[in-house]
Amino acid sequence: MIKHHPSSKLLAGYATGELPASIAIGVAIHCKMCDQCQANVDALTAQLADQVFDAEITEPMAYENEHFDVAGEADAPMDMDFGNMIAAITADDEISEQSMVRSTSITVKGKNFELPAPLNNVRMSNWLNIGKLSRSSLNLDEGAIHSHLLHIDADGEVPTHTHKGFEITLLLDGSFEDDMGTYHPGDFIELNGEHNHQPKTKEGCLCYTVADDALQFTEGFHKLFNPIGSLLY
Amino acid sequence: MKQSTVESTRNKTIAPATKTRPMTTTAKESAPPELSQYLMAVAADRDKQAFAKLFAWFGPKIKRIAAQKLNNDAAGFDITQETMTRVWRKAHLFVPEKGAATTWVYTVMRNVIFDAMRKNKTQQAESLSDDIWPIEEQISEESPFQDHLMTKQLGELVKKLPPNQQEALTAVYYKQLTHEELAKQLNIPVGTVKSRIRLAVTKLKQQLGANND
Repeated sequence: MIKHHPSSKLLAGYATGELPASIAIGVAIHCKMCDQCQANVDALTAQLADQVFDAEITEPMAYENEHFDVAGEADAPMDMDFGNMIAAITADDEISEQSMVRSTSITVKGKNFELPAPLNNVRMSNWLNIGKLSRSSLNLDEGAIHSHLLHIDADGEVPTHTHKGFEITLLLDGSFEDDMGTYHPGDFIELNGEHNHQPKTKEGCLCYTVADDALQFTEGFHKLFNPIGSLLY
Repeated sequence: MKQSTVESTRNKTIAPATKTRPMTTTAKESAPPELSQYLMAVAADRDKQAFAKLFAWFGPKIKRIAAQKLNNDAAGFDITQETMTRVWRKAHLFVPEKGAATTWVYTVMRNVIFDAMRKNKTQQAESLSDDIWPIEEQISEESPFQDHLMTKQLGELVKKLPPNQQEALTAVYYKQLTHEELAKQLNIPVGTVKSRIRLAVTKLKQQLGANND
């Protein structure tokens, strides 16, 4: 049972297409697992479409003429370029066959996981192991925003860490606990700023994580966390 | 036409005389209900007239929205071309029961803009949008195959196709007519018969979840 969902702000950002790819991927994976959020996104998308296209008022006279010209052959007044574009597009009779959802699986520590479809075309680094933690970084090229697949073996934990900015954890498989409770697959956990947490897992888990680590662990005491912090996020 | 100058338009808006024509300049222009029929006509028949109508409604809007989002006029033009090309090629993926034509075109446009903006900002050329906002979900959830009675299911899927595609499939696959014979019978070009069959087969393949590579 999924208990943690993306904020309505993130769902809206997902619908408009304005989130960074890494975060949009997290929301997409969650929505595939959560009918309720998917339904919200669908409703938002329909609303947005109305807003965006309705708000676009074209030169009034041009459209007035068009409205009164329902039966006529004359199409809406468009510039020459558009006419050429239509001709070029329709000259090609190809149709796009829908690409089938490939399922890609990954193996971490001898365990097989099916990779969520939104990650199908994302380049991943090799797995890096330290103790019970394994991590693969995803190359989305989004500057300060880093995303990873993180696997924690049974009875493993992530050392207490904190960071500026935000951290999104989407649990893909297994479960983990922290001081706020137990998390299950599909749970979308958004933490920010001063939040301290120390996730532990009994059965092991696989997570998709996104963090903004700009200016992170750069001064004072936090420097101590640098080696482990930059490795994890 | 003196009416079409910018000046006279403005005057009209301000002048109280506009009362005689309440649906003028300030009216919201909401989507005409025919849009989804046009989309289906493109899907079923590769109907160029219908496509031109879709283009007339969406094209200028997409151009303006995209130019604004990417802050670049030329990009607005490119986005329009790419979006409308996808509309032309993917119209058969539009499911009218699932939502409005405007919503569908919006998602196509959103994806094109997303990929274009990523291309500007990053070194990566991969298009991620179709993975992040999957269209195929809309089809796959409608046809969960639990048993292996393919013939029966196939028959049901065929019944869901547009009538002219059903007719073409039945004639060619069941009655064993050649494309040319069917074209002659229906008095339509052979190319139209072929594209109807291709569209129908593509749609069936998708719904059956076959791998086509």
